[in-house]
Amino acid sequence: MILLVLAAWIGLNFAEKRAERHGISKENINNLIFYGLIAFIFGGRISFVLQNISAFAKSPINILSINPDLFDMLGALAAAAITVLVFVQRNQISIWSVLDALTPFFAILGIGLGLSHLAAGTAFGLPTDLPWAVELWNANRHPTQIYETLASALIFGLLWYKRHDPHPGIHFLAYLALVTGMQVFLMGFRADQTLILNGIKQGQIISLAALLASFILIEIRLYQITKK
Amino acid sequence: MNFTQRIILYILLLVAGLSWTVLSAGSTPNSAPAGQSAPQAGFTAPNFTLQTPTGESYTLSELKGKAVLVNLWATWCPPCRAEMPAIQKIYDEYKDQGFVVLAVDMTAQDNPADVLPFAEKFSLNFPILLDETGDVGRDYQLRSLPSSFFIDREGVISEVVIGGPMSEALLRTRVEQILK
Repeated sequence: MILLVLAAWIGLNFAEKRAERHGISKENINNLIFYGLIAFIFGGRISFVLQNISAFAKSPINILSINPDLFDMLGALAAAAITVLVFVQRNQISIWSVLDALTPFFAILGIGLGLSHLAAGTAFGLPTDLPWAVELWNANRHPTQIYETLASALIFGLLWYKRHDPHPGIHFLAYLALVTGMQVFLMGFRADQTLILNGIKQGQIISLAALLASFILIEIRLYQITKK
Repeated sequence: MNFTQRIILYILLLVAGLSWTVLSAGSTPNSAPAGQSAPQAGFTAPNFTLQTPTGESYTLSELKGKAVLVNLWATWCPPCRAEMPAIQKIYDEYKDQGFVVLAVDMTAQDNPADVLPFAEKFSLNFPILLDETGDVGRDYQLRSLPSSFFIDREGVISEVVIGGPMSEALLRTRVEQILK
């Protein structure tokens, strides 16, 4: 958790620096992040409560509990996304410019996520005899958390190198393609995945679909830009 | 890069991704690393046999078929004290459905004489077990007190909650999950 908060703080600093280059004022990006974060926290809790309404009906005071486990990540992301969309509409800011400005934030958060997986021993790998295997949960395993951290750092480096892309939205969509591509590859080494048809990992299928979606979005966005 | 070159690149990347997905399939027999024991969600819970202060013996593996909460705690730990009434309340609510609580006192780091008065003070009627050698703490890679392991009817850890105190609602959602 501490690593994620640290990564978010570093990422926000990068996003703030990038915002002005994308035509967004420092004040607007700070407000957008603030409201997004508030929506993320409350949305995650409200979504969890709604999904477990019977558990809270017997102890409604627990809705205000400080337990971080009473949280639904999908609900949190949806609430944050809706809030960001409303904010950009009301302030007449381009959503593509916002997403481009926030891309370093997402990329650094990805590095933080890999490090937090490493610290907690979650998102662990398949057993292997490779010389760089790490002993975890009673077996020598692929250090998938290190792969994830390194790949996320590489993606951040690539995006930073290519940060002057003149087409709004392409920077963010390229990040989306890179991160989903990374997940397709790395999930092949993961041992904690839900398996579906003939042992195929569910996470890889979802990531492949997201990769395809990001390619389609890149083409739609390039078409919109050239049409203008 | 023109449109045609990009489309070719997309197709190549998607085909490579799909091939890798198929090639890496079936590397594990199921989502849980079956049969392996470790104190982590998805693994079989490490087995132990411990005694209560009155000499009654409990073995975790013998509780297969029941949903079990293994709670590692100590009398001097404030969040452990804070969550005990909630654990007792949830135990009373779900014990008839096959829910068992094994509250393992980290006796190696605690005063054994404080355990029974503690249980009496909070009117705890689930088994309080003594980890006098510290083996269970080691096997469960104890990092923080309290630590709670929610174990399903198959003996597989469904959820790990490090730290506390756990609220009633959190306990209720996790217990309902392992009772399924």
